[in-house]
Amino acid sequence: MLDSFEILSTSGVVLWSKTYVPIGPSVVNSLIKDVFIEGRNAAAPDESRGPKPTYKKDKYTLKWTTAKDLGLIFVAVYQSLLHLSWVDELLDNIRALFTGLYGEQLKKSKSSAISVKFDSYFDRQVQELEKTGETTSARHEDSASDVQFTPPSTSSDADPSADELPPPIPGLRKADLARPISRDDNSTDVTPIPTPETSRPTTPAVNNHLLTAKGGPGGRGSRRSRKAASSSSAQASSGDESPARRGKGTAGKAAAKKMRKWDAEGMADEDDGTTLDYSGAASGGEMPAANVEEIRQDTWGRKTKKGEFVLKDLDEEMDSIIAASKEKQAAASEEGSSGLMGQGIGAISGLFRNVVGGKKLTKDDLVKPLKAMEDHLLNKNVAREAAVQLCQSVETELIGSKTATFTSMDTTIRAAMNTALIKILTPTTSLDLLRVVEATRKSRPFVISIVGVNGVGKSTNLSKLAFFFLQNQYRVLIAAGDTFRSGAVEQLRVHVRNLKELTKREGGEVDIFERGYGKDAANIAKDAVQFAAEQHYDVVLIDTAGRRHNDTRLMSSLEKFAKLAQPDKIFMVGEALVGTDSVAQARNFNDSFGPGRGLDGFVVSKCDTVGDMVGTLVSMVFATGIPIVFLGVGQHYSDLRGFSVAWAVQLLMS
Amino acid sequence: MAWYDEDSFLTRGLGPYLSTILITALIAFTLPVFLHFFIFRAKTPTSLPTFLVIGPSGSGKTSLVTLFEKGAPSPTHLSQSPLSVRVSLPSTTKAASSKYRSENDPTLKLEKPLLLVDTPGHGKLRHFGLEHLNATPNLKGIIYVVDAASIPSSSTGSSSESGLADAAEYLHDILLVLQKRYTTAKSSKGPKDVPVLIAANKLDLFTALPAPLLKTSLEKEISRVRETRAKGLLTAGSGDADADDRGWLGEGGESKFEFRQMEEVNVPVQVVGGNVLGSEGPDVDKWWDWIGSKL
Ligand SMILES: Nc1nc2c(ncn2[C@@H]2O[C@H](COP(=O)(O)OP(=O)(O)OP(=O)(O)O)[C@@H](O)[C@H]2O)c(=O)[nH]1
Ligand SMILES: [Mg+2]
Repeated sequence: MLDSFEILSTSGVVLWSKTYVPIGPSVVNSLIKDVFIEGRNAAAPDESRGPKPTYKKDKYTLKWTTAKDLGLIFVAVYQSLLHLSWVDELLDNIRALFTGLYGEQLKKSKSSAISVKFDSYFDRQVQELEKTGETTSARHEDSASDVQFTPPSTSSDADPSADELPPPIPGLRKADLARPISRDDNSTDVTPIPTPETSRPTTPAVNNHLLTAKGGPGGRGSRRSRKAASSSSAQASSGDESPARRGKGTAGKAAAKKMRKWDAEGMADEDDGTTLDYSGAASGGEMPAANVEEIRQDTWGRKTKKGEFVLKDLDEEMDSIIAASKEKQAAASEEGSSGLMGQGIGAISGLFRNVVGGKKLTKDDLVKPLKAMEDHLLNKNVAREAAVQLCQSVETELIGSKTATFTSMDTTIRAAMNTALIKILTPTTSLDLLRVVEATRKSRPFVISIVGVNGVGKSTNLSKLAFFFLQNQYRVLIAAGDTFRSGAVEQLRVHVRNLKELTKREGGEVDIFERGYGKDAANIAKDAVQFAAEQHYDVVLIDTAGRRHNDTRLMSSLEKFAKLAQPDKIFMVGEALVGTDSVAQARNFNDSFGPGRGLDGFVVSKCDTVGDMVGTLVSMVFATGIPIVFLGVGQHYSDLRGFSVAWAVQLLMS
Repeated sequence: MAWYDEDSFLTRGLGPYLSTILITALIAFTLPVFLHFFIFRAKTPTSLPTFLVIGPSGSGKTSLVTLFEKGAPSPTHLSQSPLSVRVSLPSTTKAASSKYRSENDPTLKLEKPLLLVDTPGHGKLRHFGLEHLNATPNLKGIIYVVDAASIPSSSTGSSSESGLADAAEYLHDILLVLQKRYTTAKSSKGPKDVPVLIAANKLDLFTALPAPLLKTSLEKEISRVRETRAKGLLTAGSGDADADDRGWLGEGGESKFEFRQMEEVNVPVQVVGGNVLGSEGPDVDKWWDWIGSKL
């Protein structure tokens, strides 16, 4: 059983939700944070087909789908222990229903408030799907609603309109169905209706604007679906902002409800409905008498067996909306092969739209420019994996959306890529190193260790960091943890001597902690921290031996190192020059400190040598989600810079 | 044909002919209409007065906006995109522009529409908010929402653990942008006022810090932020020339940062408490009053 189902907008407002078991907002919040904002376990490329992506949090499993153009997210939450195979279908159906019912309203209103009366639709969907999930044979017991659940190819009243109308949008379709109202007037003449004044002015009043808006072929659709449509339009307009309208809407709805109340001959009527569906078919002539009878009862508005009929009405409406949306999808996928003529016109108008804007983007439109964008990123030295993923996320972002007026597609894609890059490069929490160091200054030394592959400039950047702290009057201890490469300790000694010279006047103090070669680095680090605590140093910087990230033996010693030294921050130094390898480097180092510990940031060295090819920055952050903290930009101690997202994005997009 | 001839156009144009009169009348009557359509209409429609709702994640921005719009807050989750909604001032709140209107003035009854722009507060998405600061036409003010319950009173707890550091940093960045706007302005008078309301939210919770205390906490923390910012490394891409105007918020010198100093740059700051949710219903009247006073 589901625990909860929520429909929310990207701006964070829950439009509708149904909670069976209270779960609190944190579960969905962490879904949004991890998946949508921080982009971990990226969503499936095509969400409209195939299995829905899942996300597990605590004991819950979350499945979701999105409606990009409306900025909606549909989330189903259930216990991980359960295997609910029908959730995918539920998500699809609910999305189709909800966008069909409220899409127009969401598009035009500049508000968070649409009044949503969705409960009964949802309940029916869940009931049905649960049933189909349990036993497929049970399907046919559910007499009326079942018929409607046929796929669009066999759905009788949907198909013909699909042939004539280009992709029928639900609103249009409803209007089309609502049309027989005008014919209804004839039947009122034939059969005297006791209370025509009460029923007619209200319902058509609600429908009027729909009627004027449409231009489809008339004379199709059942009386029943007409009613369904009228009830739905009443609901749609009941969400209107102006209170006057709302009042009218609810009045209309009440009337529509009243009309829907049928008495005991419900089944017979159901037959009517279906017969009328095949209005062109031979069997149509059989039932008119019964039909007339039913109408009369309808307008009398008897209130018997209320619940069941309301539900049946909903079913039909729901199914027609779902069917319509499926058709739309099918139509969209067939669009390409609609003949030479259509293609030519389509191409021309596409070109035009490309200039003027307002073009609805499809996958085909995006393939070429995105390929160009991918090449551009590759040229900037972004690792292929990252470039492909970025382009894919831009693609999912853009498919189904429209270009703004007077913006070409390229501009749109560039803008989307720009935002994607900003999003990926901006850290979740900004790291102000001085401030965190300051916070612990009184109580204990702040421990920073530096890791990385051989020759990337660990020691150099470590001394740059030391210089930075010294300038701010901290007492710094540098621990020589590279007990492996010959000359490493001497190199640090030289650095320390230089730093002492440089900062003598400014009042910083720096010393080296060394134990020669061959010892276990983890123990040395631990001793250094202890020593620093005794001697009241403010900052301890621990150098480590360079190691290949695919050398498992050396990498495994890092875990012990992290445990013994307990560094506050672990930074990895990476070269800006390195290409595709950066992804693997970042990943392996991030995973090497054991569970619960990872890198805290990257220092990217040699940025001055690559010009605008700063793709490595993106690759590293992409691989791990860990922010870049510092950039090394030269040979001097002062050549260390903070990272600026705007700067990097500008270089990448230039 | 000389000008004084019977049918030279000048003579005709000045003579008492029916056609002349008709043409003159036509021009005289249609010209104003044309002028109206071409000049009056072509002017961009003035945008509604806009207030930007900004602040750290989870502080209650979206709840606040939905409350202002509908009278009741919606349930919310993390925001990923900005949301602008049209709201109108409640009849109990008077806009400053109608200060001198009499009680019975029928124009008082008209609704005063305004636009509230909610921005996401997640660390990765703050660029939306910061961009809006400079790009919003007719920006009347900024509502900076803080979760007062996430901020411990100054005696307990270290700042880096709590929401205070985050809230102060974001506020610092916003104020810095507003200050830059003033210092880089071309005209001698400086740009328009952008008042800032710091809305101390969630005062229904007993752990929440009351507004005056919140004010001092924030001021203290912002002092700290601007200090470490000044000492911190230069960021990449900024040349040595930028080193000086890295942005020091408020007055220079040793003194502590106070919100009062922002008035120098046309940014009056006010801290007002309230709550969006709570067992005794929302308490947002004072925020409405503030909005009204800026209209
Ligand atoms: N107790 C209490 N809770 C509140 C109050 N205002 C908001 N909340 C809760 O705070 C949580 C976060 O509110 P949101 O409005 O989503 O926060 P936000 O500022 O929009 O956050 P982002 O969209 O992430 O930037 C919600 O669960 C609200 O119910 C309040 O006045 N009192
Ligand atoms: Mg929000």
